[in-house]
Amino acid sequence: MTTFLVRRLFQMLVVITLSAMASYGLLYLAPGGPLLFLQQLQRSGPQAVTEEDIARIKARFELDLYLPYRFTRWFVGLPRGPITVGDQAFFSDLQVGCAIPGQVRLRYPDGRIEFIEEGCEVPVTMADLEGRDVSRGVMLGDFGDSQVILRDRPISILIESRLWYTLALMGVSTLLAILIGVPIGIYSAVRQYSRFDYAMTTMAFVGSSLPTFFFGIIAILLFAIIAKEAGLPYLPPGNATANRDYVIPLIGTVEARSTLDYVLHFIMPCAVLTFVNIAQWSRFVRTSMLEVLRQDYVRTARAKGVRERLVITKHAMRNALIPFVTLLAGVLPTLIGGAAITEAVFNWPGLGRLLIDALERSDYTVAMSLTFLSILMLLIGYLISDILYTVVDPRIRLS
Amino acid sequence: MATTSATTATEQPRKRRSEGQWAIVFRRFRRHRMAMVSLGIITVILLASFLAPLIAPFEPDEIGLGRNYLPPMSVNAETGQFHILGTDHLGRDYFTRVIYAGRVSLTVALLVATISSVIGILLGVLAGYFGGWVDIVISRFLEFIATFPALVILLIIAAIFLENEQFINIPDFILAPLSAVLAVSERETKQVVLIILTLALLNWIIPARFMRGMALTVREQLYIESSRALGASHWFIIRKHTFPNSLPPLIVEYTLAVNTALVFESALSFLGFGIQDPTPTWGNMLAFANSYMFNHPWMPLVPGLPILLASLAINYIGDGLRDALDTRLQL
Amino acid sequence: MMRTMFKRTFAGAMLMGLLIPLLAACGGQAEPQVIRETVVVRETVEPQIIEQTVIVEAPTAEEGATEEGAEEPAASTESYTTPHPILDDLRVRQAIAYCADRSEVAKSVYSFLDDEQREELLMDTFLPKTHWAAAGEDDGITVYPFDPEQGQALLDEAGWTLDEGDTVRMNEAGEPLTLKFTTTNAQFRQTWAAVFEQQLLDNCGIQIIRTHAPGSWWFGGTTGLQRRDFELGAFAWVGETDPKGQTLYACNQIPLPSNSWEGQNYMGWCNETASQAIIAANNTLDRDERIAQYQIFQQEFTKDMPSLPMFNRLEVAAASGNVENYNPDPTEYYTKNIYEWTLTDGGDTVVLGMTQEPASMFTQNESAAVQRIAAYLIGNFGHQGFAFTAADYDYQALALTELPSIENGGAALEAVEVNAGDMVWSVDGDAVELADGVEVINADGETVAFEGDAITMNQLSVTFEYQEGITWEDGEPLKAADFELGNAIECDPEAGTISLQICNSRQEIEYVSDNSYTITYLPGVQWPEYSVYSLYAYPSHQELSDGRTLADVPADEWSSLPEIAEAPLSLGPYRLVEWEKGQRMVFEANPNYYGGEPAIQNVIIQFFEDTNQAVAQLLTGDVDVLGRETLGAGPEVEAVLQEAEEGTDLQVFTLASPTWEHVDINLFTK
Repeated sequence: MTTFLVRRLFQMLVVITLSAMASYGLLYLAPGGPLLFLQQLQRSGPQAVTEEDIARIKARFELDLYLPYRFTRWFVGLPRGPITVGDQAFFSDLQVGCAIPGQVRLRYPDGRIEFIEEGCEVPVTMADLEGRDVSRGVMLGDFGDSQVILRDRPISILIESRLWYTLALMGVSTLLAILIGVPIGIYSAVRQYSRFDYAMTTMAFVGSSLPTFFFGIIAILLFAIIAKEAGLPYLPPGNATANRDYVIPLIGTVEARSTLDYVLHFIMPCAVLTFVNIAQWSRFVRTSMLEVLRQDYVRTARAKGVRERLVITKHAMRNALIPFVTLLAGVLPTLIGGAAITEAVFNWPGLGRLLIDALERSDYTVAMSLTFLSILMLLIGYLISDILYTVVDPRIRLS
Repeated sequence: MATTSATTATEQPRKRRSEGQWAIVFRRFRRHRMAMVSLGIITVILLASFLAPLIAPFEPDEIGLGRNYLPPMSVNAETGQFHILGTDHLGRDYFTRVIYAGRVSLTVALLVATISSVIGILLGVLAGYFGGWVDIVISRFLEFIATFPALVILLIIAAIFLENEQFINIPDFILAPLSAVLAVSERETKQVVLIILTLALLNWIIPARFMRGMALTVREQLYIESSRALGASHWFIIRKHTFPNSLPPLIVEYTLAVNTALVFESALSFLGFGIQDPTPTWGNMLAFANSYMFNHPWMPLVPGLPILLASLAINYIGDGLRDALDTRLQL
Repeated sequence: MMRTMFKRTFAGAMLMGLLIPLLAACGGQAEPQVIRETVVVRETVEPQIIEQTVIVEAPTAEEGATEEGAEEPAASTESYTTPHPILDDLRVRQAIAYCADRSEVAKSVYSFLDDEQREELLMDTFLPKTHWAAAGEDDGITVYPFDPEQGQALLDEAGWTLDEGDTVRMNEAGEPLTLKFTTTNAQFRQTWAAVFEQQLLDNCGIQIIRTHAPGSWWFGGTTGLQRRDFELGAFAWVGETDPKGQTLYACNQIPLPSNSWEGQNYMGWCNETASQAIIAANNTLDRDERIAQYQIFQQEFTKDMPSLPMFNRLEVAAASGNVENYNPDPTEYYTKNIYEWTLTDGGDTVVLGMTQEPASMFTQNESAAVQRIAAYLIGNFGHQGFAFTAADYDYQALALTELPSIENGGAALEAVEVNAGDMVWSVDGDAVELADGVEVINADGETVAFEGDAITMNQLSVTFEYQEGITWEDGEPLKAADFELGNAIECDPEAGTISLQICNSRQEIEYVSDNSYTITYLPGVQWPEYSVYSLYAYPSHQELSDGRTLADVPADEWSSLPEIAEAPLSLGPYRLVEWEKGQRMVFEANPNYYGGEPAIQNVIIQFFEDTNQAVAQLLTGDVDVLGRETLGAGPEVEAVLQEAEEGTDLQVFTLASPTWEHVDINLFTK
């Protein structure tokens, strides 16, 4: 087991590095970027932008560095400048980027001319890196500064401000979905093809049939707007807390940021997410329960005259829930960014929303920090699920 | 407290043992009422979509600004035309758009599910059955792919498509029939193909991990060891044991995949990364209609309903098939 | 370069060989075979490739000579110097203008307006009809009313005929009249573009193929618009108080490979008369002269039809009926007069909603509307919204005693003699040392090159005077040192300012008193909007949490200082007490505001992710005010209008915004 763990952890490190590299590269490959606003500005007269200005802005976003250096600076915080041994500085002249790209004109015998970017007009060397701000690297837990969303301020502020909201929403809704979904699944399996089974199956299917934004908006319309207009008790349409005290019929005045206020705001997004997730759990449990109910030992137990209730709780359920345990590990990564759309619809200040925002506004450092976190959670989840496989099913050997 | 349905199954007379395997499957499938109903529904949806050019009362992109936001079942006062599902913000006939969009949405969903399942199952079997370094390489690769940020990839795909339209070589024998099936121009088809490939790329992880688990379990069964001892080839064992044993849950997995692809497509449209207008899909119609929700609450229901129906039907069919295919079910 | 290469390679790897990566732009290594494949398509003999390094900024005489000496006319073969086979024909461009019923296009997105209101939104030229510089039909501009017959006639004349039974016109060679139309995937543009597409086809047999691209591609620095990768392209410019337009339409502003794609004249439209007129219009302080030059420009612009103005956007702002004195404006942010607001129900808190969160309170590096709306509450570091406002396409003094102008004596234009070695403002808009060959504009308004003799030039100086008794939130009075610090930080490139043009054009600043200073510009500087180029003010006395004084902090640290970026000291009616990231900003009345304490005690800005939710909260009363930057003119607006009509207690304002939609026509092709 120990050797297995050591080996897996090492493999995980490799995958994390590769994944981080790939995601980082992909991000910069996507069009747009932090300079997007320049295109939408009339750059004339007092707002004229020179090539030096552009080089300066690029340097601020590290866009003048070659991708591999940019990556390592983000990943492990290196290189920070020339390596100094004693008085001697090494690699000072090593070119690590290009502030203003060069151009080459290709002329063909038929008179065609083509311009291509090649070489470098003003290179950036290792010596230029000295004194530039750099994080200690995401591997050492330093996410660095945000580039756009909270410009030049630490990303940790952003993550801290949203982490608990996301964890609360995802945690509670997942828990509820399991608590509701598992019994439904078991009952549906025991009473296969009964009315209850059909009703529950249909409900589960409906939950997974439409995107969350659809349910979200319907819920807002019904339980917030229409209910309020009709003078019925209503739920707040969004946000995590209210800005002012408000009055709800039958309940009375709700003080802003009181516990009741938090709870009222929590109900709708949580209910929608739970509804959508119940499906997956109940279907899974139902399938695996049906499987088990047909196994020989269940029939043997029945034949022996064991009471049906006991057969189900003692023999069938235990075995049916084995594969379910492994599924739990898959929940881990969704805790971070699993509810982006729900968060957007209900204006819930969570991490998923932050990720979409970061991508839309090309805040690469924030987007990468969140991607890195979800990579980490995903891999840990996979590792746990692989270990659980062996724990619950001793027939599987970890080679 | 005997379980009614399970026991009914065992009470069935055993005389029909001699009939063909598929006949048995079909007979069992027929017993699943909802699955049968669903089969009917999905047939109607498929037929309507497929025959769209014949049955559509309007052209899919026929704009009429004087007749926008007509609710379902309304008659245009000026022209006397009947709009069974109403019209959208540009006065385009919703029914026409819905059936045309169905061609695209269903094709996308089915192709994504099929491609991702095939790739996933193959890799999963390889990893689970052979284990060792094959497993390590495939599993780590899976994890690697799973970590890709989906939205970023979609943005890149869109950009590559926009810049290199002429460089993307999709062979004509794929493009031409697909374009006919979707009833859109070849250029729009290319965009659809790219979305399909991307979604497939992002979605084969689930079937692969699932299949790997199944293969792992089956591998350790006693009868496999005896088979191996008898000198059966790997291919034989996979074909005769691993695969049939994993089939029922795989069917469920596949229907879930179709469902996921349908929902994913509309979620992407909501975020602005999906298939773009003028190609109609249920997803982009739904995302568009959402903004009109406060004034015309029925608008999102029109594209929402076919998504719901199709995906419900597919789920039930999967459910029915799973029960019907289960070899351990005693009849 | 390496970055580009890496990108391309990566794309290929990622798509697992499904797509063939772009070869043409891939030639990082300049390997001959790569170039041969893509550039010289029909070449049978191996091409000889001559490589030359081009210095982008200043092509030397030698290189010019090589170019001249080439056997073939080299200029015509660069990318985007080949005239577009269809769109180069003026008749086709005019036909497009005649065939589009722009009133109907506007109707598709603003169905709630009546015909007359819509008519007001339509534009004939690049300025809204009510703008002081806009030219009308009487001023000799060409107008294009909806007239399909005229359009059809022009197309027939241009050789594009419609055969019996066809829907798309063809030329003699049998090629269809098909054009690609690119724009963003915003819902709003998808809607009007669909109508535009159908109009051109039904009315005139012009087929357009729509592509709705992500904004990040369309507006990207190396993609879409900037690389002129379109035939017909639609987007919007945000009109400003000043008409500007120089980078959009001057001949030297055409983005080309040879100038590193610099400029914003994406059409590639070069009309010498128009180009000179637009440059001249931006090089004088005399408004009559500017109007005359803009008129010439607009005549040429409408005659050549390089860009079809569609309509001014309509924007809607709304507030609960409870809020008094809320007065949204097309060119100024609505918090400009928040100190005058009152709540009729006697409440003490007003909630504003916006769909984006400010990135930083450090105004000088930010241009987002949401940032300004928040910053105005705390005095915006003494700049716009505090010193002056820009309502209704004009400027008004606020904390300034009056806007300095030449007429009221606050500004002066003096003739000075300049000699070699003096710093002057060149004709190209750069601060340069006067030397032989440098071109400047002399006091008579003529462009002259310096040849050793002294030149008489105009020198502008402007005096800004603030009201007495202005203090910071901590009670410390506003002082000269604060303006001095403002100037130092604004003009330090390390602080992150994007454009330093105004800084570079200043010769010196004299701090006359604590509330007055005089800025003298370099000879030759002619900023038309000089009366609002005042200085920022930073609380130079402020002590930071780490014990330093603000004035001692090096410029490169400023953008990351919490005391500047997150919780700056206020000069305005409110002070920022809390900023819950991702949720809200909480302000309370500033007791030391020079204008007296505002009527409403607390202001909360609530951030939203999507407009639907913001509208929902407006309807339920959780939010009081949504500005035009948040509501815009999306489909949600209709819901707000309808609610207001049905008697919900809402005030709704529809404003013709300075943002205008247009279709750029690319006159050239790759």
